Amino acid sequence: MASATSVRPRLTSGFVPRRQVWAHRLFISPTILSILVLGLYPLLFILAAAFSDSTLGKPFREWVGTENFEVVLADGDIVASFLRTVLYALAISVASVGLGVVIAVSLDRATRSGSVVRTVLLLPLITPPVVVGTLWKLVFNPGGGLLDTLLRGVGVDGASVAPLSSTFWALPAIGLADVWQWTPLVTLLVYAALLTQDGAVREAAALDGAHGFGLFRHITWPAIAGTVAAVFFVRLVIALKVFDLVFIMTSGGPGQASTTTSYVIYQVALKEFDVGRASAITLLFAVVVTLVTLPVAALARRLSHD
Amino acid sequence: MTDSSPAARPRFAFQHRSVLAYAVLGVALLGTILPLTYLFSVSLMGRDETVSGILWTTDPQWSNWGDVLGSGIPASIANSLIAAFGGALLTLIIALPGAWAIARFRAGGRALGATLMSPWLLPPIVAVVPLLTLLRIVGLNNTVLGLALVYALANAPVAVWLLEGFVRRLPIEIEEAATLDGAGTFRTLIWVIAPLLLPSMIAVGIIVAILNYNEFLLATFLTQSADAQTFPVALSLFYGDRTPHFGKIAAASFVGVIPVFAAAVFFQRWLVGGLTGGAVR
Repeated sequence: MASATSVRPRLTSGFVPRRQVWAHRLFISPTILSILVLGLYPLLFILAAAFSDSTLGKPFREWVGTENFEVVLADGDIVASFLRTVLYALAISVASVGLGVVIAVSLDRATRSGSVVRTVLLLPLITPPVVVGTLWKLVFNPGGGLLDTLLRGVGVDGASVAPLSSTFWALPAIGLADVWQWTPLVTLLVYAALLTQDGAVREAAALDGAHGFGLFRHITWPAIAGTVAAVFFVRLVIALKVFDLVFIMTSGGPGQASTTTSYVIYQVALKEFDVGRASAITLLFAVVVTLVTLPVAALARRLSHD
Repeated sequence: MTDSSPAARPRFAFQHRSVLAYAVLGVALLGTILPLTYLFSVSLMGRDETVSGILWTTDPQWSNWGDVLGSGIPASIANSLIAAFGGALLTLIIALPGAWAIARFRAGGRALGATLMSPWLLPPIVAVVPLLTLLRIVGLNNTVLGLALVYALANAPVAVWLLEGFVRRLPIEIEEAATLDGAGTFRTLIWVIAPLLLPSMIAVGIIVAILNYNEFLLATFLTQSADAQTFPVALSLFYGDRTPHFGKIAAASFVGVIPVFAAAVFFQRWLVGGLTGGAVR
């Protein structure tokens, strides 16, 4: 074995000189450091804070056991925010992925769409979320915003259109901004998957009479299903973390109508300075996120291996 | 739908489908551009016009833009650019050796691969308080340098994940040849791998820089002093006024978006390549 490798030292062979092993460890150490500082350290910090009486200025004042968790679970507003966030994330992800796939397939079919079209379609993705929030806040502005003005133009009484101050419409309005911002990512990744597809297969299928939805279902969809599931997972995780848009557009209101869990954590930790309770909320939310995303991740893995 | 004339049908279907595709793209383009155009339009409106229900002002107030350029916004954009590019450069320096060692030598084993992206799963709000505490200890809170360091570490896993895909696509024979010629691990990394990966590194660097430039949550707590504020933070403070001037807010938004949009236009190909390269292996 050793003599074979010395003839032609394949880099991926099992035999690696000791000196090289240390070099490889050195190479990955900055990456590991980043995981320690931004993954493990915050996790240990909030674990310790969740089981103690902690304020922003003075963390870990006194161990209080599971008291923080009991308070959080008894708080109807916080449990409601979990449910609200999960429903929001699922709805937004379905909408973004659905739209993104339709646009990607259209880009692929429309043979003459150039790079200008693709660049323009990408713009929302690279716009700072704070600007996206500002933009849609202006659109939804009840006194003379774009939506209000357009609805007046077609004869609807604009005075009743104020989505951001309606308990029912505030969250869907934030969702629209969210979909606007993140659909391009879906489009881009699905479009890339479509490009790797074999064009000859599609042509053959088209000659055999497959067209329209049939062509999509039997030829295109199987080729991109794995990518779509993976993108859905990514989109779901991003949607579960929504904060900037809520912060700019509604500050969680009216009442609690658009208070997502990230916003609750922000309020408790940095407005009420109760880091212990905020940490308990974070840990419970981590459990919720895991329960929601795990089936999606498993599905994505299965589809991409088939 | 049940119509069957296999010879004629496909051709018609092709055209029909193209029309639908172009229609979808038209709607998508309109949906993308319309809100951005409206933002530009509002940026030229006077205080009264923003609440008067007009779509386009007849008396453009370029003074909105002038006021924004005379405010703290340009300085905040400079801060954002420093944090974005400084952070991105450091991220690449961290990620390149990591990505190479993981892709070629399975350094760190399965455990590293499995935990690499795990910090990304949780809301970043989780990290705010611990990081604030850490930066206070090392005396880097309220500085652009501190923020750039946080960004560098925060994006390293994503950069490793994206770069790994590019490393795997390099023909391994080049590295083998370098080893046969007597180049050590370090020399191979610096003189063989780094130049070959340069285009991919630029692509990943641009993506990371844009992520940094747009980041709001960490910036708002780690840079609270006025001279360290980044653009998203400075923009969010415009809402602090009792009666916010929407025209000026829109103008400030537009000024701040110019650097990223310019980057997108110049580096379109790289941006798309970088985003898709890691995902499609």
